[in-house]
Parts: sequence; structure tokens; C-alpha cells
Amino acid sequence: MKQITHRRNYLGAGGWVWAGNYQMERYLYLLHRVTGLGILLFGLIHLTMTTFFRIQGQDIWEATMTVLSNPWFKFGEYLVAVAFVYHASNGLRLILQELGFVLGKPTPPIYPYKDALRKKRPWTIAMVAVIVILAGVFLFDFTIGGW
Amino acid sequence: MWRTRLHFLFLFAGVAIAVLLGIHMVTLHLDAILGFFGVNAADPTGWLSMIGRASQGVWASLYIALLAFVLYHALYGLRGVILEVTTSVRTERVITRVFIGVGILAFIWGSYVPVALLSS
Repeated sequence: MKQITHRRNYLGAGGWVWAGNYQMERYLYLLHRVTGLGILLFGLIHLTMTTFFRIQGQDIWEATMTVLSNPWFKFGEYLVAVAFVYHASNGLRLILQELGFVLGKPTPPIYPYKDALRKKRPWTIAMVAVIVILAGVFLFDFTIGGW
Repeated sequence: MWRTRLHFLFLFAGVAIAVLLGIHMVTLHLDAILGFFGVNAADPTGWLSMIGRASQGVWASLYIALLAFVLYHALYGLRGVILEVTTSVRTERVITRVFIGVGILAFIWGSYVPVALLSS
């Protein structure tokens, strides 16, 4: 008698990276997850800084800001800003798709077939373009010393 | 049905964060570009600028709302990631309860500071 295998097709965390011929959207989703976890880690540090250090008064706050003005921390802040831009833009794209706003009209399956991912790809490319432009705006402000 | 509602709240919180955190990022990090458009945001992370914002109800409300949305969105998202690699119902229950507890404590502490600074 055939045994039922519990979660037989389950690949674990490794399946997030590779489970066959993933397309661009799957890697955008993986990056969405990675940036989300990164922003969460930064959020914990940021919450600590803006509560424990801020409530202790001006001297502690200014000492904290002096430490954070280190170029490496500034570069880290830039990466977090770009991660936020990416996570927000890709998240809005995913929400629009999940709610059915960018699915397009159904079409008959006439060769050459156009699958759902290819139909939505212009939106994906537009989203990547928006991210690149916003990352450039932040980089411009970063390089002229606005941070 | 309640799981669907929680998921929609997760989506709504994501949109709200994009708006509120967008305001926060532009105000605090794009001061050079804001200056180009005539908005004076000199040294936005300095003590005087920070305490000036903290004494305004609008900013305190914005940050408390942002904190609530961020905590919900982040903890719900992290819970989803963790639950993908576990099969145990008991683990799911424990993780859910721990995250609810952590979220409530972080919200109480994180919103106490803006309220305390509001009256300073």
C-alpha cells in the first residue's frame, strides 16, 4: 500500500532559491523577502535608537548621531533606503496583481501562447525602472552630502 | 474569513507604510533636494529639529501610526516566512502568541516615547 508522505514536494528554505526554472518574478519575490527581513532588522535598531537614546536627552542623542555619522553607517542607511524603495514598489505591484487590477482581459489560447507572467511583465519592468530612478535620486542626495 | 481579513490588513498596512515612511524618508533624508525646492530642512536629525518635530501632535501621531502599521506588517510577514519552514500546529500557535506579545510590548514602549516628548 502506498504511504502518504507528509509535504512530499516540500523543498524547505532551499526551495526559495531554486526549484527548477524560476523566472524573473520569482527572484524579485525572493529579493522582496530578503529586503523585508533586512528592513525588519534595521527597524529594530532604529526603534532602539529613537526610544532608549532619545529619551535620555540631548547629550546622548548627539553622541549617538556622531557615531551614526560614520561613512559606513551612512552607506548602510543608503542601502536600507534602496531596500525600502524596492520593497515598497514591488509590494505595491504584488498587491495590484493580487487584487486583479493588472491581470488584463482573458484571451483565447492561440499560438504563440502568452502566459500570465509574460502578460504582466511590462508592469514588472516599469516597477524596476521606478526603483532604479528612485535609487538614483537617493544616491544623488547621498553623494552631495544631504544625509 | 478572519484569516482573509488579517491578510487584507497586512496589505493595507503595507500601503500605509509606503505613504508614511515615504514622508519620513523625504523629510529626513532628502533635505538637499528639498532645499532645491525651497523647503528648509537643515540638519533634520539634529536635536533641535528632532525635538521641534516631536513637540508637534501631527508628527507624534504620524510616528505612532507608522509604528503600529510597521509592527503589524513586519511581524505578520515574518510569521509567514517562519511558518513556511515548520509543519507543527503547536509551533504555529506559539509563534503567533509570541509575536502578538512582542508586537504589543514594542508598540507600548515605542509610542510611550513620542507621547512623553510631546509634553516636554
